Amino acid sequence: MQPGAPGEELVPYKSQRVAYWYFVIALGLFVLQILVGLWLAISYAFTIPQDIVDVLPFGMTRAMHTNLLVLWLLLGFMGGAYYLVPEEAKREIYSVKLAYIQLAAFVATGVTALVGFAFGWSQGRPILEIPLPLDFVVVVGALMFLFNVGMTVIKGRKTAVLGMLTGGLVFLALLYLFGMPFYRNLTIDWFYWWWVVHLWVEGAWELVTAAILAFVLIKITSVDRKVIEKYLYLETALFLFTGLAGTGHHYYWIGAPDTWLWIGGIFSALEVLPIIAMVIDTFLTQRRHGHVIKHKVVWLFAIGTAVGHLIGAGIWGFAHTLPQINYYTHGSQVTASHGHMAFFGAYALLNLTMFWYALPRLRGVRRYNPSGAHWGFWIMGFSVLGLSLAMGVAGVLQTYIERVLGEGFMTAQAQMQFWFKIVIFFGVCLLAGVLITIWKLLTPKETAAETE
Amino acid sequence: MPVSNKGSFYIFIVGTAISLVIFLGLTLQTHEQVDALTHAEKLSDEVVAGKHVWESKNCNECHTILGFGVYYAPDLTKVYKRIGPEGIRLAVQQPEVIYASSFRKMPDLNVTDQETSDLIAFLEWTGNIDNNDWPPQDTDDAMSASERRLAGGMGLSRGAAVFQENCMRCHSIGGSGGGTGPALDDIGNKYDAATITRFILSPTSINPNSKMPPQRGLSEDDRAAVGEFLAKQDGR
Repeated sequence: MQPGAPGEELVPYKSQRVAYWYFVIALGLFVLQILVGLWLAISYAFTIPQDIVDVLPFGMTRAMHTNLLVLWLLLGFMGGAYYLVPEEAKREIYSVKLAYIQLAAFVATGVTALVGFAFGWSQGRPILEIPLPLDFVVVVGALMFLFNVGMTVIKGRKTAVLGMLTGGLVFLALLYLFGMPFYRNLTIDWFYWWWVVHLWVEGAWELVTAAILAFVLIKITSVDRKVIEKYLYLETALFLFTGLAGTGHHYYWIGAPDTWLWIGGIFSALEVLPIIAMVIDTFLTQRRHGHVIKHKVVWLFAIGTAVGHLIGAGIWGFAHTLPQINYYTHGSQVTASHGHMAFFGAYALLNLTMFWYALPRLRGVRRYNPSGAHWGFWIMGFSVLGLSLAMGVAGVLQTYIERVLGEGFMTAQAQMQFWFKIVIFFGVCLLAGVLITIWKLLTPKETAAETE
Repeated sequence: MPVSNKGSFYIFIVGTAISLVIFLGLTLQTHEQVDALTHAEKLSDEVVAGKHVWESKNCNECHTILGFGVYYAPDLTKVYKRIGPEGIRLAVQQPEVIYASSFRKMPDLNVTDQETSDLIAFLEWTGNIDNNDWPPQDTDDAMSASERRLAGGMGLSRGAAVFQENCMRCHSIGGSGGGTGPALDDIGNKYDAATITRFILSPTSINPNSKMPPQRGLSEDDRAAVGEFLAKQDGR
């Protein structure tokens, strides 16, 4: 059966429609994240007067930027899960109502947190800023979600994709708990902070990503499900094998035992392998089955996810993961460069891949003109590449001037200001690319021609 | 690849388990050693109170500590050693004065005296964590390039040597040095050697508005040497 073929139901299960609002809200937050990001780049490139800094410190706007990122990606994952679970389990979602209540809980938490940041209401721990009372709302929301997905999976057909997805989601929720307590010892604090942040992005999120990608590939290629499932296991095995012990690359300079230098160095050097496997796998699929792939736009974003993963997470990560290099680059703009490229390449594009598969269908559109989607893809891709490279140059300058030459922090920052003007330029381009993408995602028009 | 789906599933389980065992084993080792590595016996209630201040004032949202956090402002792992308790107090309580000439500003966060003391205790404790000598610019044997250049260019007179050892964290000459205090390129046009010497011991006796802490740690001879050295700085 070819997806999109006449006669096939675009959205076979009614409850899949829950995903629509998850996706739309996620996209709105994505735009907001970029707008705040532009303000951050301006704060680096120019002098913000003391009067403004006193009212709205840089730190709180940066908290908005990162929390918006996490929230929109997680809403995207959840929407993706609600979309794929019925088709995989071959039954409706256990409770549609619960899915909407859960969405409302997360959105309310997000809005409260963002407004709170503007007034300095924060736990003061980067990325995990939201205050403890809101943490509990998040936990309740996550439990609703797991219960809802879990009940659907238990009562329905069991597949490897669903196993991987629910495993990843449970893992994701459990890890969040380690970020909640107050730790007396700063070293232990950061040790468990990485249990959330690293084990999310290089553990739990990889499982969810793999499941969503496998679902999309099963739908849009003619590759046999068994083959895709096999690679799902093998690639995820490599991701977890390298990623779990690879957490050590965050423990070099925090007052943890030296053993981490060895384990962290070796395992994180291996972390690039599963990504290379993923890219090879993708291009082999293209060569063998490219001619029968019907959804060219979705496929473009899927390839983009694999390549973006390789550049941002694989190469950029590998470049400064060895202790000998990391000693100088740790905690510099090199990390920010890596973060932007990796989050966009691996997770923003993954979500957009799913959105491009599901959103036109949810709007009842079977074939649409793909040119707008292509424009959006390439503008976004080159913009993120550009702004990450500019941050990378700034980071290398900082590393050399501050860490190697031993000049003062601000002496280095003065040399970096120019590169943040470049970041602003690419940030504006990125905004344009994202707006084009959203516009095209939300207003696909049925075309008769064989364009898609 | 000649692997069945069942086979690949087992590879997945075994691979994950191996990595997990290594990871959890090292986590255990970390808990065993962390007290010694962080001098936990000095982790007093005051230090913990300082950590609460650190979090409630969102310090980590602009600064890094142990290299983690945000890269907008300097790393504070070893700030105690870099600018000392008085330097921290001034920066925290009067950022609008300290960073008046800086192109990047620090917000005034209304930190009380008690909170500042706790914060200083926290940062002193943090500076002693045994973390493989990171960050590189704050290591004991790291003498900054600007300090070396200045010292070399001046043939290292006693005054220049004392200046680069004790004053350059806050003051600069010729663009080299810190930005907390004013640049001293033409200080010789304003004060003579004797005045500067007195200024160092009691800043407010010369300039009632000065925010500089009195340098009681310097000997009389050292103060005089710096005074003579600085009096020669006439901006040319």
